[in-house]
Amino acid sequence: MPSKRLQTTGTVLAVLGALGTVALHWMVFFWTPTEATMGVIQRIFYIHVPSAWVAFFAFGVVALCSAVYLWLGDERLDQAASSAAEGGMVFTTIVLLTGPLWGRIAWGTYWTWEPRLTLTLLLWFIYLGYFLVRASTDNPERGKRFSAVVGIAGALDIPLIHLSVVWFRSLHPTPVVMKPEGPTLHPDMLVTLMVGLLSFTLLFLGLFLHRYTLAAATHLVAVRERRAQA
Amino acid sequence: MRTLKRLLEPGSLTLLLLAGSATRALAQDTAMAGAGLSGQSLRPYAFVFVAYALAWLLVLGWVVAIARRMGRLERRLGR
Repeated sequence: MPSKRLQTTGTVLAVLGALGTVALHWMVFFWTPTEATMGVIQRIFYIHVPSAWVAFFAFGVVALCSAVYLWLGDERLDQAASSAAEGGMVFTTIVLLTGPLWGRIAWGTYWTWEPRLTLTLLLWFIYLGYFLVRASTDNPERGKRFSAVVGIAGALDIPLIHLSVVWFRSLHPTPVVMKPEGPTLHPDMLVTLMVGLLSFTLLFLGLFLHRYTLAAATHLVAVRERRAQA
Repeated sequence: MRTLKRLLEPGSLTLLLLAGSATRALAQDTAMAGAGLSGQSLRPYAFVFVAYALAWLLVLGWVVAIARRMGRLERRLGR
């Protein structure tokens, strides 16, 4: 196996993330006050927003690793990019599933083609394309290069998603934390959100390290098998 | 089977107690939050629980997928 230390670090981070998430659940269901306008359904916010943050972070890692991979051609960067893309897809799927559940109660509809929702769905499809492009070429090296380009282009959607609620008339709530005048959330809600952000980030980093180790090991085994055949 | 049942019984009892107290805590909060919320049905609670369950299913799915692929690779290495 390429790195036992990476796997151990991954396990420690994932366990810390899981423990943080247990604390998050306690805070969400027993400690945080209920939002006055939306009521109980607003509690979806504490997994919806951290999932969105992790997805954006993961796709940021994809874009960064892909750009450096195109420049240096280091195999490990492609492995890191594809591992992060997989995690990004998982967390974007969580965003796309939890959002409509919130919307059904808050807006009366599961889905509406408003800018932020549409751009998030587009992000999911772009990174689905990332994997399709990788798998669709006969030459794996070419597939990796094509998917790196998709990985970089896809990340351009992230600032658009963030700013869409400011630029366009939107049903989606505007940011309550990342505002020039500071967060406008109730302090208890803000603490709960921060615990969610930290836990989900640790969980993602832990699982990402495991996924990266797997990608690196698969590559090593493939190289050895090819050498043995030659 | 019997051991599994023995393990599951206290587990499900704890889950029921947790769910019960969570619902009670949420209901108290909701009642305090304002007159506008007092008319809410139990539907939002179900939606919140479904959202959290879906999130955990997806994360667990990813964990299982990684573990299975790692197992397959180890078997390949063993051959």
